[in-house]
Amino acid sequence: MQRMTKLRRTTSLQRTQQRMAVLFILPALAVYGLFVLYPLLLSLWGSFFTWKGLRMQEFAGLANFSRLFVFPSGARLYGALWHNVAWFFGIMVLQNGLGLLFAWLLFLRSRGAAFFQSVFFFPAVLSPVIVGALWRLLLAPGGIVEWTLNGLGLHQGSLTVLGNSHTALGMLIAVDAWNWMGLPVLIYTAGLRQISPQVFEAAKLDGAGNARMLYSVALPLLMPALGTLTTLSFINTFNQFDIVYVMQGVQGNPSYSTDTLVTYFYRLAFGAEGAVGITDIGLALALGTMLFLILSFGTLLMLRFFDKRTVEL
Amino acid sequence: MSAPSLHRRLALQQGLAIPQQLARLPGWAILVLWTAAVLLPLYILVVSCFKTTAEIYDNRLGLPQSFAFDNFVRAWTRADLGQNFINSLIVTGGAVILTIVVSAMAAYPLSRYRLGWNGIMLGLFLSGIMLPIRLASVELFTLMRSLGLLDSLTGLILVYSAIRIPFAVFIFANFMRVLPSELDEAARMDGAGEARILFQIVLPMVKPAVSIVAIFTAIAVWNDFFFPLIFIFDDRYKTVPLAISVFVGQFRTDWGLVFASLAISMAPILIMYCLLARQIREGVGAGGGMK
Repeated sequence: MQRMTKLRRTTSLQRTQQRMAVLFILPALAVYGLFVLYPLLLSLWGSFFTWKGLRMQEFAGLANFSRLFVFPSGARLYGALWHNVAWFFGIMVLQNGLGLLFAWLLFLRSRGAAFFQSVFFFPAVLSPVIVGALWRLLLAPGGIVEWTLNGLGLHQGSLTVLGNSHTALGMLIAVDAWNWMGLPVLIYTAGLRQISPQVFEAAKLDGAGNARMLYSVALPLLMPALGTLTTLSFINTFNQFDIVYVMQGVQGNPSYSTDTLVTYFYRLAFGAEGAVGITDIGLALALGTMLFLILSFGTLLMLRFFDKRTVEL
Repeated sequence: MSAPSLHRRLALQQGLAIPQQLARLPGWAILVLWTAAVLLPLYILVVSCFKTTAEIYDNRLGLPQSFAFDNFVRAWTRADLGQNFINSLIVTGGAVILTIVVSAMAAYPLSRYRLGWNGIMLGLFLSGIMLPIRLASVELFTLMRSLGLLDSLTGLILVYSAIRIPFAVFIFANFMRVLPSELDEAARMDGAGEARILFQIVLPMVKPAVSIVAIFTAIAVWNDFFFPLIFIFDDRYKTVPLAISVFVGQFRTDWGLVFASLAISMAPILIMYCLLARQIREGVGAGGGMK
């Protein structure tokens, strides 16, 4: 008898909970569904159709995709793709590599870690627009960097690194690394502090130097941190837009040498591609779908890769 | 043994002999070098704000001849930065509040009820953390147009909340999951409704989660440039980053003016950062929830 009432009470509680859960989840699901999931699914779907302006016309199979890879789009696509790939590897070395060195140096020191971390991270809370605009002024011909390099005798005449198609992309990658350097420093330091102190002491007793300890002891144990950073850098690199737009314009000047997949997407979608500046929604959506696939598979592969290499102690 | 004591102990062992102290100098030099790489551009930015363009060329590194606020006044009035600031504040504040309220509401049943579909629903939300929403901007634009949300701060608030909800649900669910179950059971026995349990009992217990979500949502929204670029055409509704990008292009040769506009738009973030540096450092270290 008593058990019966108890049972009834739990089922009625569960029923209330089911109802309450739906009510509680609905607002978040509605906003998220309407402004993220719905447009994203529609974009993927729309990439298989022909478009007239912003109107969907008829089913076109893979026609948009094949147009993407041939003239005149092909050159833009491969250029932008290559820039994104170079950007990713540049960030891995400049930002996540140097960041590991900084984090390790801070970890070995008892004092100053909080101060250095705060300074290093500060640019990361600034808008990329501000960072890009600031560096555009500093790197401009006649700007402070030119003046410094000339003064030190390292360079002569006008500095045109942003106007030179061989150096512009590298400069943007460096600015991006400057912007986000604090992120790897913070994530690595958090990871290093989670490693049991005995591990380092044992290595020290075995006569390992600092460099050896970093490479053979700390790095394998930092795989989760490295995985997080690699994945984040990958996603952010392939979404890169702001710095290019502010520093080099939406065309990725000079002569498309800093063009990225998202700036190309923006031009196709919102009309700044080519001399006439008309939109090509079909092409834009096909590019979006392709980018979506690159990002999804890339992220999944990376997560699995680092998951397998995670060492448990 | 607690974690912070480790590097202190290692440091102590190493700090004993003077040759070892010397061996640490290159390390310090590297750290100081990057500190300079971060702070020098910001220093140039600050001193240039007070200089005329001619003075910027003549006197690169030194302090300005006088601390005139001429550039600030011109930047503020010419770019109408006041209005942009108000817009950015409204959008950021609105998005932070909306994100916290709806995400906490969703995370509460998902982390504390036994529904049978918690896992699937959580997965649906979490997948949004890595979805490249910019690629959906064409369809999003069409949607916003048909809802009359172009050129509207409400529209921006809704889009930003939608983008930030997955991360917020993730953080809230993680924090709420570990609270003892007696907490809400006792309140339920006392006849408290579910809404009251969430907002008066559970939410105050996960304050760290609230501050992480608030800080990182605020930074992301305040700094974003892409969505205002697509959805806002009317000067009256432009946010700070969008206005700055236009301004920088327009007055590219008037360096003092551009530097001043950058400094103004940086100021609120700088103040916030000085106040919250520790929480931000810990939040990033714990979750990496940036960008």
